[in-house]
Formats: sequence, structure tokens, C-alpha cells
Amino acid sequence: MDINKIKADALVVGGGIAGMQSALDLADQGYQVVLVEKDPSIGGKMIQLSKVFPTLDCCSCITTPKMSAVANHANIQTLTYCEVQSIDNADGHFVAQILKKPRYVDEDDCTGCRQCEYVCPIDVPSVFDLNMTARRAIRVPFSTAVPQLAVLDIENCILCGKCARACPADAVDFTQTAYEIELEVDAIVLATGFETTPIDAKKEYGAGNLHNVIDGLMMERLLAPTGPYARVLRPGDGKEPESIAYVQCAGSRDETLGVEYCSRVCCMYAIKQAMLIAGALPMADITLYYMDIRAFGKGYDQFYQNAQAMGIEFVKGKVAKITEDENQNPVVRVELIDEGQVVERTHDMIVLSVGMVPQYNPGSVYSVGVGEYGFIKSPAPNISSTETNRSGIFATGAATAPMDIVDSIASASAAASGAAAHLEAVQGGN
Amino acid sequence: MSYKDLSKKEKTQVLKQLREEHADTVKRTQALLKEQNAIRKKIRGALGEESRTVTQVANIVDMPTHEVMWHISAMRKYDLVAEDGMEDFVDVLYKLVEEK
Amino acid sequence: MTETSDLKNEEIKIGVYTCYCGGNISDVVKCEKVADALREMPNVVVSRTNMAMCSDVGQSIIEEDIKSKGLNRVIVGACAPSLHEQTFRGTVSRAGLNPYLYHHVGLREQNSWVHGNNPGEATKKAIRLMLAGLAKARLLKPLDAIKLEAEVHALVIGGGVAGLRSAYDIARRGIRVTLIEKTPFLGGRMAQLETVFPTNNQAREDLHDLIEKVTQHPNITLYTSAEMVGYGGYIGNYEVQIRQQSRGVSGDIAEAALAACTQEIPDEFNYGLTKRKVIYRAYEGCYPSDPAVDWEHYDGKPLDIDGKEVVFENTIKTFDLKVGAIVMATGFNPYEPPKGDYGYGELPEVVTLPQFIRYMGFRESSDELTWNGRPVRDIAVIHCVGSRHVAGVHDPQPDGILNNYCSRVCCTAALHQVNELREEFPQLNVYDFYNDIRTYGLEHEAYYKEASQNMVRFLRFHVDERPEVAAAPAGDTHPVLVKGKDYLTNGLEIEAAVDLVILAVGIIPNPVPELVDLMKIPVGDDRFLLEVHPKLRPVETPVPGVVLAGTAQSPMNIQESCNAASAAAAKVSALLAKGQVILEPFVAKVDLEKCDGTGKCVEVCEYEDAIAVKTITIDGKEVQRAVVTPANCSGCGNCVSACPNKAVEVQGWEVAQFEAMVEALAMEVEA
Repeated sequence: MDINKIKADALVVGGGIAGMQSALDLADQGYQVVLVEKDPSIGGKMIQLSKVFPTLDCCSCITTPKMSAVANHANIQTLTYCEVQSIDNADGHFVAQILKKPRYVDEDDCTGCRQCEYVCPIDVPSVFDLNMTARRAIRVPFSTAVPQLAVLDIENCILCGKCARACPADAVDFTQTAYEIELEVDAIVLATGFETTPIDAKKEYGAGNLHNVIDGLMMERLLAPTGPYARVLRPGDGKEPESIAYVQCAGSRDETLGVEYCSRVCCMYAIKQAMLIAGALPMADITLYYMDIRAFGKGYDQFYQNAQAMGIEFVKGKVAKITEDENQNPVVRVELIDEGQVVERTHDMIVLSVGMVPQYNPGSVYSVGVGEYGFIKSPAPNISSTETNRSGIFATGAATAPMDIVDSIASASAAASGAAAHLEAVQGGN
Repeated sequence: MSYKDLSKKEKTQVLKQLREEHADTVKRTQALLKEQNAIRKKIRGALGEESRTVTQVANIVDMPTHEVMWHISAMRKYDLVAEDGMEDFVDVLYKLVEEK
Repeated sequence: MTETSDLKNEEIKIGVYTCYCGGNISDVVKCEKVADALREMPNVVVSRTNMAMCSDVGQSIIEEDIKSKGLNRVIVGACAPSLHEQTFRGTVSRAGLNPYLYHHVGLREQNSWVHGNNPGEATKKAIRLMLAGLAKARLLKPLDAIKLEAEVHALVIGGGVAGLRSAYDIARRGIRVTLIEKTPFLGGRMAQLETVFPTNNQAREDLHDLIEKVTQHPNITLYTSAEMVGYGGYIGNYEVQIRQQSRGVSGDIAEAALAACTQEIPDEFNYGLTKRKVIYRAYEGCYPSDPAVDWEHYDGKPLDIDGKEVVFENTIKTFDLKVGAIVMATGFNPYEPPKGDYGYGELPEVVTLPQFIRYMGFRESSDELTWNGRPVRDIAVIHCVGSRHVAGVHDPQPDGILNNYCSRVCCTAALHQVNELREEFPQLNVYDFYNDIRTYGLEHEAYYKEASQNMVRFLRFHVDERPEVAAAPAGDTHPVLVKGKDYLTNGLEIEAAVDLVILAVGIIPNPVPELVDLMKIPVGDDRFLLEVHPKLRPVETPVPGVVLAGTAQSPMNIQESCNAASAAAAKVSALLAKGQVILEPFVAKVDLEKCDGTGKCVEVCEYEDAIAVKTITIDGKEVQRAVVTPANCSGCGNCVSACPNKAVEVQGWEVAQFEAMVEALAMEVEA
């Protein structure tokens, strides 16, 4: 058999929380699932987070077991570091052409020991840590990566060969090249996720040039136990901040950025982070500048009330501008709505509560309909929100709209339900 | 045939060929490495005598504090520097880690 | 099982793992000290820590240790067993060990989270808990999970949009579904809406599409006017009793009976704004289309139909069903403010948003909006009525519960309604009293924007200064005054004279105390049915095979309800598609040599048919012995304490294991 041809029941595109949940729900029903992830590890955005609202479970407690369940499920085949190039219809099936990018590491031999990483001389900014620290040109993506395999980034490699000589398993393979996999399935679930609105998008907020103005995802990394500094420090100079402010709706509900919608998660992650900072830095003053606090989910408003009781200051105000003083302290110019005045306040650190934009334009590959803002759109958003305008192709999670983890998981299971019903219909029994 | 099955000579050949294919990348990263090594040497020098904060290191090596922060964070990640207490309660001190 | 004999003489080799839980444990407990303390103990072959034992890396470490060090028992100290005990049973199982040779120690919920203020003692306690786990682990025996045939048949309770969606999705997977609806008509709360956000579609059109698919699906059996009144059994094999009231009228007589009926009561479909007959259709075009007799209100008097006196009889049918899983789609009720709150129930010009939506649905269309015959030119909308209550500011509800949650749908629903009004009646003046506008969904903010640009005057109150509604003095231009402070304009005192006040009321779960009681489903402190975990098992309840769909679980809009319902369907399908369910083996086991059939165990057993004294043959002799039916046993242990001969044990939780744990807990430890 040609190893580059695979048949399965369903293809799930995207190995974040939504894709993993869809894959698990399909696999648990007995369907053969191929999960394709463009990055070297599954886990998506969620694996970058610290703790999650409203339970304050550590993120790993939720994500890593799901990653493990995916990796160990007999009905799921995970293709990491792969991209879907095209989808064709053939004999009533979908045929996906998938490009497997070279890891330059043998997947069967590598043990994830990281010895290659330690000898690699090249430090480049770590995207996983939002560039706040470095990673090596060859590295295991992160400590809980699945699969736990090294990957060599040829674009930043000097090709010195040190890694190959250091590898105890002889797994570094400079002869690898990209290759194609042809996958035939009967249903597809798109779980391509989101990106945060870029930190440099708003010039009024420093356009990304103020080193102590960070975004929400950066703060997630600072709060994570595996974070770039292993504590909360200012990226600008390594000092511990004593006064931290959140600017809400930084990149959402903002016509000038073309993001007119509410990103739905920013209020809650800001409140959660504020509570975590209060735990990590008990002496710090924490302020949230907001227009509306949207704590709408189960247990969320109670969470918000707890944060208020903890002494976190919620200030109804619109931040017009952020500048910096001579000590790299960010200065906000804010209209305080309750007082009806504009003031300038200096903080040690500002967190921009950035919003969510679609990660991926499915256009040419999947030809599914998208809405005004680029999220995949269902023809029946209320009754069948995970359907697309193409029969047999479903969409879920933040690929369809900004949503939090709880809602993404519900959406993912719903997409699995839709895909399973489609499979039942076209295959006539499982 | 995968890399591990090649002879030493063949391996050198493969790497050489890859370097030619990625000539621009190699040139760029080699320049980057050179610069990085120079910076790291200066930072190690600054931390050689005693533990220092990022600001103190930046003053010695004459670099912006945020760049020094990035390098120290990278060095900490790969166990080349470690925290060594706090100065004035808010500023983390870093020290060099003895090479094993 | 072969492992039993193998293990008898085998040296016990235990692997001990202490999890940092990403800081959740290690921020308080010195995990390395715990690992060090355990490492010194007898039988411990390896003692390690990890940032996240549950990660693939962490699990691989355990698997590798089992294989390379020959471990035959494993304990992990981590989060509560409810989260990851199953995860680690899977881990040891993959490495070839019996999954019940694993023991889970809770170091988070039972330690680090509650002793954050005392790290020293917390570390000592962690060591003690781990020692107790170790003591139990030494005595663990391999067990076999109980495998049972499952009924490939699901019961869905509730015929609203969530129940319909769930039933349809399950049926499409080839599983038989019985859907029961308490009222005579399908559709639930969605049927009472007109246009809905974010599509602006007619709610009943979308709903009827779904109802048609459900009613035409061959796998679905539908009962209206039906309730579940009996419940027994267990996952895969629930035995439920359904009680169905008759429709009372059908066929030829139905239309005539409807016409002849004159007895009227307030129409709940229109939230009491209109009246309906006691023989009725919920609305024109409802499903099923036959009218039904409202038995609760029908006075029993005969009706004259075609010259004949007809009395209607309610024949109640009760029948049993065997189902493998149950979906709770029991829905919500709009919050009804107490009389006098914001003038509700006292001033005729104060209505709830659901009432107003109905009013817009049934009113004769005209160029002018009127209320009680008066033209309406000024309207006030008040948000968060019955939601987001704060202790010390608001009184608890009559049941003692404070409605401290956000009801999620009211902001967008209210603004959607306001925009439609402004479009239809451009001269209408709208005051919107709010605290936070929560138009959170992708297309919801557009409703807020439209309202803001369309002359709706937003006035922001503080939570402790909610607006007050009072009758205007006689002779005033308007019947009602709404007073409040507006913190968008520096706390300016506002007095809005209006013709109508719309209260954007919240959502409370439709109370189902009988079902909660019968099925022992936990209820949260917000009254909604409670899931196991919002992310790990978001639609499952702790009752195996009983799942949640829609607003029974929390406030949700239609899209979210349908997603939750489909998610519930996915869980049911995964459970029943195999035709087999697996139960934990933690059930009573009788030592036939010690048992002499006293029957004391049967006396104390609270479960039906879990343990009984039966005549069995041992060595050719007929004897009386206690016999356990594992599927019915909950493993509560009542029988263990009652047996005079110490002949009963709960597998996996034996008395000797408890004794060893207690002894270990009492040990002196250093940290």
C-alpha cells in the first residue's frame, strides 16, 4: 500500500481545543478520524494559557489530557506539521491533498530528550512565548507538546550539524523533504481557530513600540508556570510591576480596526488575569478600564463580583491614548465616565485586552462561505451553527466566531454530532 | 535513505548541499549568530563579577533594557543564568550558572 | 483474570508521582519534599514530580516506568479524582497494568486550594495523604470493569428547541429516540418569539423546519402531554415510567369542540396578556395541529356539539420504557418580577420583554403603537431585571437564592426589539436604562450600534442605584415616571416620563424538582442543573448516561442551546452506538465462605435489587447466601457494616484498605 494515501471517515482541520474535541467525539462514536495540525504540536492557543476562567483550573489540567487522549485514541490519526492544500470531490467523497512539512527529525526515532535543543547555537524569538524569550532553531515546541518530538526550523538554521551529532537516537535527518499525503474522507470539520488582534494595530496605544505595554496573550505566558520569566515582570526592564492596568476592547468594538464586534473573551480573561496577578503580586494595584463588562457565561458574573471583592479596581473609562514616561512607565489618557473628566494616569505596565480575528481564510481550499469579518458562516446560525454552505463540511469553535473555551467545546461537540449524522447518511451505518 | 544511514562523508555532503540551497538563510543566520555571541559575551562579562539586575547589565553593556531582558530570559531558559534574589524588592537579580 | 494469580506472590513495586498541577499544587505544597518523603517508603520503586502529570509527557513517564521498572501499582497525587482518575487509569492500562491497580490522591481540592495560607502544614498534609494512598496501593487488587448490554434507545425530556435538536441528532445516528413534552404542544419558549437575533428570521419558521424533521424521522417516537414519573436502573439500562394525559379531542370533533368551548383562562402563551379557551391550540400553526383539552382548568361541564352533550374525559396512560441514556432539555422560564417591583403587576404600563414580544406578535398592525388604547410615544427599557443581583443590594428570591448571574440573552433581545420598534415607529422615543450592555456575540454588537445611532438614549445606572418606576401624578402627560441616575453624564438625575416600561427580565430554569429528586441530578447554587465540569465534561451530569441540553443548564440563546443539544447528542451517540456500557467495579462482593445468609445486608440496602439472599448450591449442598447484582449496586457500603460475619466487601474499597489508610494518615511526618 502506498503510505501516502489514507482513507478515513472524517478529517478534522486544526488541533486546538475545538478540533481536538470534535475529533474525540467522532472517534468515540467509532469513526476513523484524521486530525491535521499545521504546527508541530497539537494544543492550539489554549495550551499557551495560564489558568482558565471561571474555575481557575490550570490550563494544562484541561488541555494536556485532551491532547493525550487524542494522541492515544485508537480511532484518531494525528498529522502534525501538515497543511491541507486542496479539497476535491471525487465519487461522493472528499479528497484532501495534505502537505507534510519536513521536521528534519525522524518521528519514529526522536525521544524528545531536547539534547539537540541544548547544543543548538541559534536563539530566535519564541512565537509560543510571544517573542518574549528565545527558542532554538531546533527544539521541542514546548514542554507538554504532543507529539513530544523535536522540529528543526530550516529558515533559522546555520546547518552546522551540531544537533545531529548530539542526538543520542540519531534522529536528526537533514535528508527530509516535504511530501504529499492524499486523504479520502466523507466529512470534514474545520477548526482553524483565531488570532489575536495585533498589538501594533492601534497607533494610539503605542503601535507595539512601548515595551511595557503588552497584550492579553503575553500576560497569559507571564502568568504560566512555564512562562518566559517564570514570573510576572516588565518585558521592558525586568522590574516587577506594582501597578498594572488593563485596557479593555483594545482591538474589538473598534471600527477603525475593522473589528466592530465584541470578541467575547477579553472581559473574562482580563478579570481572571487580574485575579491571578493579585495572587502572584499581592502588593500590586490592578485597574481595569472598560466600557461594558461582559461576564455573561455560567458562573461568570459571580466571578466578576469576586474580583471586585478582591479589590481589583474597575473603572468605566475610555482609554484614548497610551504614551510612556522617561522610566518606561506607560501613561494612559483616559476619559473617566463616572466622573466625566479626562485624566492621565501612570502605571508600571499595561495589558491590552486584544480581541479575536479569524486565523485562516478557508476561501480557495474549502470554498465555504464566510461572513463580513472572515469567520466561517453557517446558513442557519441559530439551529445549525456548525454547518457550512457545503454539505459534509462543518465548522466549529473560534473559526466561526469569537468564543471562549466552554462555548468552543460545545460547538466542537455539535460539529461532531453534525459530521456523525452526515457520515451515517452517506455511509449508511457505521 | 535517511541521514543516520549515511557515511560521515555523505553527511557532510548533504549538509553542504543544503547550505548551498539555503545560502541566503545561512548567511543571515550566521550574521545573527555572530552578533548574538558578541552580545552574550558582554552580558556574561557584566554578570561575571556579581549578580545584577537587567537595568544594571544594560548600563554596563550599553544596550536598551528590553533587549537585555530578552537575552537574559533566553539564557535563563537554557540554564545559562539564574535568578539570585531581588534588589529593592522589585528588581530581579541574575547570576551566571556555572558550566557543567 | 491471570494477573490475580501472578500478583499474589509478586513483589509489590509502586510508582509514586506528585503533580505540580501547573502551580496549583506546587505554589503551596513543596512537591519535591513530598516526593522525597515517599521515596524512602517500603515498596516505592520510584517517586517523581512533574509540572503536569496528566500531560502526554507526564503520562509517558509513568508508562515508561511501568515497563522499565516493573511497577505493579501506581499512585498519583494531583487534582481531584473526578478530573483525572480516569486519565491515569488509562495510562497504566496502556502500559499493560490492570487499571484498578492505580490509586488517585487529591492534593489540590483537598489540600493546596484550601490551605493556601499555611504552606508548611499543607506540605505535611500532602505527605500524609500520599502515605495513605501508598498504604492503600499496597493492598490494591486487579478488578474487571462491569460490561453490560445497553439499550440503543434514548429518552429526551423536553420538546423545546434543545430537546428537538438533541432528538434529531441522536436519531440521525441510527439510535431510537423517545421525546416527551409536558405540554400538549412542541416548540417550548422559542415558539413564543417573533423575529430572532442574529438572523432576524421568524422564530417559528426556523422552529417548524426542525419540528418537521423530528416528527418525520422514523427513529423518533413523540409523546406530548407526557411526563416521566418513574425512574430506575442505570446507564445503558434505565427503566422509566411515562405518564401521558390524553389530548381529549381529535379528528372530526376537534374543531367543533374548539368552537363550542366558552370557558376561558389567561393564555400562558401570551404570558397572561390575553385569554384562551380550555380547549385550545397554543398558537395557529402549532404542532401537533390538533387542539387539546387543558385538563388542569377544564371545569368538566358538557359542551353542546352538533346538538349532543359531550363531556371530555382525561384518560391517563402510563407505560414503561427501557432507555440507555436520558437527555434533560427541560428549559427555562422568564423571570417574573414580584408584584410592585419596578411597578410590575401594579402599573398596567409595566410589562416584561417576553410579554411585549407576544404583544407585538398578536396586536393588529397599525401605524401607531398603542398600549391599553393609549398611543405610545415614549418607552423605557430597564435591563438586568432579575439578573446580576448583588448580595447586600438585592434581596434573595423567595427560595432564598440570590439571582447573581447574568441571563445572557436579555441585552441583545431587548436591543433587537427596540431597533424593530424604532424602525416601525420612527417617532418613538426610547430610554434604555442599563448597567453593562452585553451584546457579546459576533453579530450582536451591531444591534447595540444600531440602537445607539438610532436615537435610543442609553442611561447607565450603578448596580446599587437601579431606576425607580412610579405612576405619574394625575394629569401628567404620561402615565409612568422612571427615575434614575445616569453615569454616562456624571450621575445626572433623570426623570423619564413614558407610556410604557419594558423590563428585560432574566432567565430562570424551569423547575423540575420531581426529576431532580428521582434522578439525583445535582443542582447548582443558581438553580440550574449542574454539569460535571464546564470544560472536561460540559454536558454530562454525575449521573452516568444523563446529559444536559440547553437552558436547563444555564441561560443560553437559541444558537447556544442548539449547540449544547447537539453536544449532548454526541455524548449519547458515543455511549449507545456501541450497544454496550462499562461500569466501575466498585460494588459489593460477598465472600460465600463467610456468608451464612442472615439477610442483614438486604435490610440495610437502599437500592432496588442490588443484594438479595438466594438459594445457591455449594459443594452439592443447597445454601442461603447473599448475592449481588453488580449493575444495581452503588458501592455505598451499607451492607459491609451490617454484615455480622464480615462477609461483604466493596471491591476497590475494602475495610483492610481503609484501615491501612487511616493508620498512615495518623503517622508523624516532617516537612
